[in-house]
Amino acid sequence: MEKYISTIKLLSGGFVITLEIFAYTLVFSVILGLLVSKGRMSRNPVIRSLVRIYISVMRGTPLMLQLLLVYYLPYYMFGVKTGNIKIGPYSYDFIATIIAFTVNYAAYFAEIFRSGIQSMPKGQYEAAQILGFSKSQTFFRIILPQVFKRVLPAMTNEIITLVKDTSLSRILSIKEMFFFSSSAAARMSSIMPFIIAGVFYYVFNGIIEITMNRVEKKLDYYQ
Amino acid sequence: MKVFEMKDVKKAFGDLRVLKGISMTVKKGEITSIIGPSGGGKSTLLRCATTLETIDSGAIMIGDQTLVDTKDGKTTYCSKKGLQEIRSKFGLVFQNFNLFPHFSVRRNITESLVHVRKMSRDEADAVCDRLLEKMQLSDKADAYPCNLSGGQQQRVSIARALATNPDILFFDEPTSALDPELTAGVLRVIRDLAQEHMTMVIVTHEMAFARDVSDHVIFMDDGKIVEEGKPSQVIDDPQSVRTKAFLNGF
Repeated sequence: MEKYISTIKLLSGGFVITLEIFAYTLVFSVILGLLVSKGRMSRNPVIRSLVRIYISVMRGTPLMLQLLLVYYLPYYMFGVKTGNIKIGPYSYDFIATIIAFTVNYAAYFAEIFRSGIQSMPKGQYEAAQILGFSKSQTFFRIILPQVFKRVLPAMTNEIITLVKDTSLSRILSIKEMFFFSSSAAARMSSIMPFIIAGVFYYVFNGIIEITMNRVEKKLDYYQ
Repeated sequence: MKVFEMKDVKKAFGDLRVLKGISMTVKKGEITSIIGPSGGGKSTLLRCATTLETIDSGAIMIGDQTLVDTKDGKTTYCSKKGLQEIRSKFGLVFQNFNLFPHFSVRRNITESLVHVRKMSRDEADAVCDRLLEKMQLSDKADAYPCNLSGGQQQRVSIARALATNPDILFFDEPTSALDPELTAGVLRVIRDLAQEHMTMVIVTHEMAFARDVSDHVIFMDDGKIVEEGKPSQVIDDPQSVRTKAFLNGF
């Protein structure tokens, strides 16, 4: 019994880091994804092509590889010693993780946002234009709130995947929950730590599912 | 006093010439109906007049401001600031309403007053209440568009267009998307506005309504004005063969 409790305690400590990776990635990748989706729909063909290549590469290569690339690139390309880099309490390992996750997830979010934005009827833009709304007012007041409702189910999918993907950061020795469960499993010669980790992921994703369902319900007041 | 004028307006989509030189004038307090077969250019004319489409050549004036003019073969639109000013002078009622579904009726009407005209919430609410009463929708201020009938939605969109106190109101087939029993309420509202001498340009297929309410009727076909004049002339006693053929269908 004591073994269980100490393992749960250990994993809880790692779970805080898992949560940090999750939260930072979600915030940054949604913002970046919005910008990228704008670029994907840009009138400028150069921007449009560059963004399309970016999305294609991000979706077409493993996140694990992207993590390693972001981690090693500064040293092998520019000879930068990343060991000394620190932002606040965060070492370069962690920063590289957030960068890699953000640019990867932004590509997926961008495509979700693009589909949502392009599904908006033209009449919404026209009505806003006639009423004198500026382009940014039209986007943020009229279009984006409606797009948000439309893309919510697809976003829920990505968010749930993100929770599970945080375990990949183990490759950069980030001490998140999965890191601890692997080492505990090895030390204890038991699969119990893996099962506990699974429960952690499952419960967290359950909370996300319930929350997103609630948000969807809340937005049911209009069609 | 002229509120709206078009001079020799031409517009093509690729090779398709949709407007082949349209000239028209609308005086203050006058109600002009534009009738004619589908694909004749009525809606495009309205979209050009309301800045939703750009024209290839010709001139458009709204109030005392020039939206676009052609000189020495060069067509130039006014500045962005001018455009903003011109947009504050007219309203447009769409065929399919184009209400903002995520806003309540009240916010549909007040949002532009508060964020474009910089009115206070209280002022905007007062405008909204007055207009909803006029539209007989006072009890719907907090409803959302999806909970209203088509006729009610169209009346909200008329209220939204009126809220900015425009000099001229354009209607693009305001009852075409409605069931017959719902059109009456919308037409009644437009009739009321006519009695208050609101300047209006109405693209419509409702012939009886056009005859009753208009001061001036324009029959358009194939990108041209075929015939125009008082309703008693154009609708009751058309001269052109095409106008006769079209009206016989009703």
